[in-house]
Amino acid sequence: MTKRALITGVAGQDGTYLSELLLGRDYEVWGVVGPYPGQFLEWAKQFEGRLHPIDADLTDMDSLLAAVEVSKPDEVYNFAAQSSVGNSFEQAIATTEVNAVGVLRMLEAMRQLAPDARFFQASSAEMFGNAAEMPQRETTPLHPRSPYAASKTYAFHIIGSYRDSYGMHASNGILFNHESPMRGLQFVTRKITDGAVRCKLGLQSELRLGNLDAQRDWGFAGDYVECMWRMLQQDVPDDFVIASGEVHTVRDFCQAAFARLDLDYQEFVVVDPEFFRPVDVNIFFGDATKARTVLNWEPRIRFRELVEMMVDADMERLTAE
Amino acid sequence: MTKRALITGITGQDGSYLAELLLDKGYEVFGLVRRASTPSTLRIEHLLDRVTLVVGEMTDQTSLIDAMESSQADEVYNLAAQSFVGDSWTVPLSTGDVDGLGVTRMLEAIRRVKLEARFYQAATSEMYGKVHEVPQSETTPFHPRSPYGVGKVYGYYITLNYRESYGMHASNGILFNHESPRRGLEFVTRKITNQVAKIKLGQATELRLGNLDSKRDWGFAGDYVEMMWRMLQQDTPDDYVAATGETHTVREFCEIAFSRVGLDFNDHVVIDPRFVRPAEVELLLGDPSKAKRVLGWEPKVSFQGLVEMMVDADMERLSR
Repeated sequence: MTKRALITGVAGQDGTYLSELLLGRDYEVWGVVGPYPGQFLEWAKQFEGRLHPIDADLTDMDSLLAAVEVSKPDEVYNFAAQSSVGNSFEQAIATTEVNAVGVLRMLEAMRQLAPDARFFQASSAEMFGNAAEMPQRETTPLHPRSPYAASKTYAFHIIGSYRDSYGMHASNGILFNHESPMRGLQFVTRKITDGAVRCKLGLQSELRLGNLDAQRDWGFAGDYVECMWRMLQQDVPDDFVIASGEVHTVRDFCQAAFARLDLDYQEFVVVDPEFFRPVDVNIFFGDATKARTVLNWEPRIRFRELVEMMVDADMERLTAE
Repeated sequence: MTKRALITGITGQDGSYLAELLLDKGYEVFGLVRRASTPSTLRIEHLLDRVTLVVGEMTDQTSLIDAMESSQADEVYNLAAQSFVGDSWTVPLSTGDVDGLGVTRMLEAIRRVKLEARFYQAATSEMYGKVHEVPQSETTPFHPRSPYGVGKVYGYYITLNYRESYGMHASNGILFNHESPRRGLEFVTRKITNQVAKIKLGQATELRLGNLDSKRDWGFAGDYVEMMWRMLQQDTPDDYVAATGETHTVREFCEIAFSRVGLDFNDHVVIDPRFVRPAEVELLLGDPSKAKRVLGWEPKVSFQGLVEMMVDADMERLSR
């Protein structure tokens, strides 16, 4: 029997990689496209008949009920979110409506119409804030430091509440930063690789960034969606950290990106206080031991390869334009 | 200069005790009230000529901005909530909207209109849920079990976030269960004392309850609003537990309540599975030592005193 999956935020980075993975495993996929489909609908045409775009909104309960009704999912992956930490300070309420209450709406839609479906929630390492311990694991106490992080914390806990209260197969993947050539341009990694290529091509002379000393655990999104899928194949729902276990600074990312283009980042990168956050998390460092031991999952693409993959893709795109 | 306070949820139990306290201290008191065709001001009837009521909703951002504009409050006490844990599984979305997102809206209104106003958020021991340690204090990790608890965890963190991000004087009071003769009838304590009075007066024969073994740290709401006020008088914002430091079972509450009127609870209590919760919080026991040390606050009414106060009040009300 063909398995059916519903993905919200399907047009984003993770949604696209996961669609590819599931279609490759003979799933039939329904995807809630959201307000910014970008290239997705074009890309989706190659899978016509097996990848069905749906119109729905995480702030609209009726549309979610309809989405579950039409897809009759075995598995639901909830990626839809306002995913910019920086923006969440000025859009605290909209962020929470989608990231927090939106998850509750999805759970309610499933409880009403597909109570046996398995649910994956894209939780975030941002919940740990300036973490109580290094590295962070599933049991590390939370200390969210932005409206984005607070909203993800709500979603994290409501998953646990519905799992315990209703016996739903609902799980949190606590995702550390995961990047790719598909990452949005407003995220620092892509901002760097795109900016580095523009500098190389003479399209701009400088790249303005915020805190270069921020430390992050970066992995490749294509690896991380595999972990998500494995989580939903387990008989028992559970929460897992999904991370690379390696920490690098924004400075390291700049250095590697510009070096790929034979440039010295110090000649182009300018620190601009406008990009500093009101409150920032300094270090992310994840421990995915549980995913390794229980799901037999490990990331394959490491830091340098990831940076170079992204630079190469931006170079290809910008020279084509 | 007369201080001005805005209380959301002024019509509730805590709102009414807090309004009394602030009026006694010479505040000008504003209260946010929802539009309803049936008046909801039962608990503040005796204060209506001394407070200014403003219509608003925790789900309506502009109404909160307007409430701040018109009150120019120096202190805001955010007590408004869908506050019954049991119903939060039935109306989870609006519980999240009011108890969670509503806090963000109130903080935004303050940030916009009067950044220096001091903010009190009604956090709760329900955030501890499946407790990670006994007793629970300001540093105990959260593990909420109900949509109510989850919404309140969000409200706690967003309060912290606005404090850290904008330097707002924003604080969480982590109140363990606090009761009184003004408690809503759906809450187990009042459900018990009200039914005890009815049984004593021959108006009923039985009391149907869920889990008698649940343990809670119960105090008197009139004591707890004093801590809220003290928190906002501190120069620096911070989070505090309010609790008695004792835990008792629902069964013990019944025993004392029925004894107060010379009855035996075993003769009248019936277990009804309808009242058992989808996910239970088995035990809550708070550590209020920080509030005592820093604010000089401690509860005055004992557990026994509280139960008897409530039974006496219900007897008096139902005998009229």
